[in-house]
Amino acid sequence: MWAILSGIEGNIAAYEAVLADIKRQRIPVEALYILGDIIAANPNSEKVIKRIQNPLPGELQPQVCVGWWEEQCFALHAVGSTSEPTELIDRFGMETTKILWDSISRETVQWLRNCHFGFFELDCLLIHGSTVSASDELTPETPPWQMLDRLQRVEANSLFCGRSGQVFEYVLQRGSVNSAVMTLDRQEPTQTMTAPKRRVVGVGNVGREPGKATYTLYSPNSDCLEFKTVYYGEKKGFGN
Amino acid sequence: MKIAVISDIHGNYAALEAVLLDIDQQKAEKIYCLGDLVGYGPFPNAVAEQIRSLDIPTVQGCWDEDIVEGLNACECSYPSLLAEKRGVIAHEWTNKHVNPEVREYLAQLPHTYKEGNLCFAHGSPHSNHEYLLPEMDAFTALERVLSSDAEILFCGHTHVPYVRTLDSGQLQVSVHQPHKKEQPTVSFNTPLKRIINVGSVGEPRHGRPNATYVIYDTETQAVNLREVEYDYKITCKAILDAGLPPIFAWRLARGLEFAEKADDPTHVCER
Repeated sequence: MWAILSGIEGNIAAYEAVLADIKRQRIPVEALYILGDIIAANPNSEKVIKRIQNPLPGELQPQVCVGWWEEQCFALHAVGSTSEPTELIDRFGMETTKILWDSISRETVQWLRNCHFGFFELDCLLIHGSTVSASDELTPETPPWQMLDRLQRVEANSLFCGRSGQVFEYVLQRGSVNSAVMTLDRQEPTQTMTAPKRRVVGVGNVGREPGKATYTLYSPNSDCLEFKTVYYGEKKGFGN
Repeated sequence: MKIAVISDIHGNYAALEAVLLDIDQQKAEKIYCLGDLVGYGPFPNAVAEQIRSLDIPTVQGCWDEDIVEGLNACECSYPSLLAEKRGVIAHEWTNKHVNPEVREYLAQLPHTYKEGNLCFAHGSPHSNHEYLLPEMDAFTALERVLSSDAEILFCGHTHVPYVRTLDSGQLQVSVHQPHKKEQPTVSFNTPLKRIINVGSVGEPRHGRPNATYVIYDTETQAVNLREVEYDYKITCKAILDAGLPPIFAWRLARGLEFAEKADDPTHVCER
């Protein structure tokens, strides 16, 4: 069984609550994936980093890939693919940008830089946004052609992502299209191309909504998918 | 109305002149250009000035972008170090010879241009570095047209013209969300879409040295892939006289290029 998380966003209480929920599972969780956005403009971001770096005895070592907030942090420290944090400033303004700068140490930036872009395990891609970028937000409303494109770019049967923060299973049951090509020298006959069954899974968000964390359990052997909601703090006691 | 769509002139003024004459003979009422006015060829300024003076709606190609923003193609655009080295020489030569007005003109070109149900892009709507090859997966090709929100996507960049018809696209989708009522499977259908690759005026790679472009009739929707003979030897000599790599003249004379087919044509360089 895999536990797949995304978007802790510096919320240490939420992360602790999810870790506790993982420990309570009847079927043991054998791998813990965190699909980015560990940090955010949140002063507790460093605490989350330290907690991930130092699991308690008996806990899994989380496997971490970078997310949107990490990418913004890289741009802020001029170590990313873009040298200007324009996306962050446009979306959240200068004040939030300053908080992010103050919240993350240079040492942590270096540690985050060594995190993966995503994970390919079996026939699954686990990534924050998509292979297009960490900003690529796939949701239940994303057009199916775009979903299929994101799956085909990596030849994965299942794509687990976290950018939207939503929990969903978006299944492309089947597809077909007729294609014909004419060149200067020949007209090729029409071919019917088909697409096999594939899916995109939104794994939820741990830290954005106070008191409520969502994450995903997935068993690659049985192909069983379970969305988990964990209430903590004042809302504690209503987990399912 | 008949329209003419040209692309990838690559500083080949003789080829452009011949194609403009053919367009005139075909009685096309409007011309569109899909970029790469410069690069490889010896007359970048003359080509850009001619396109500008004729007020031809033009999108920015990858070579035009690189002249404005600095060399941006990553090594994965080239299959060998040799091909990459030649590309860099051509870029540096062009960068040195392009005059400021032309650079300014190239800088303001849009990445895509839309008119009615037609979209014009150099590579693809996502990137002017992406190759839409005719053998590209049909669903991926369809997504590129759909993302342009048009019925016909005109592109260039590959230097080999083709028309691809994508018909009866259909996908069945079911979405499950906790705490929401189970949604029934929904079927998405697409109407007829087409990708029209207009080839290359100044650096053809379809196996003959002739310039290629497209005439499209917006009323009958007929596509005419045009192949125009011209005196390519004039350009070949100018390439050698300008001190550009002689292989540019060799391949222009044959309409062949083996060295620049990217391994992964859908790779989009973010650098």
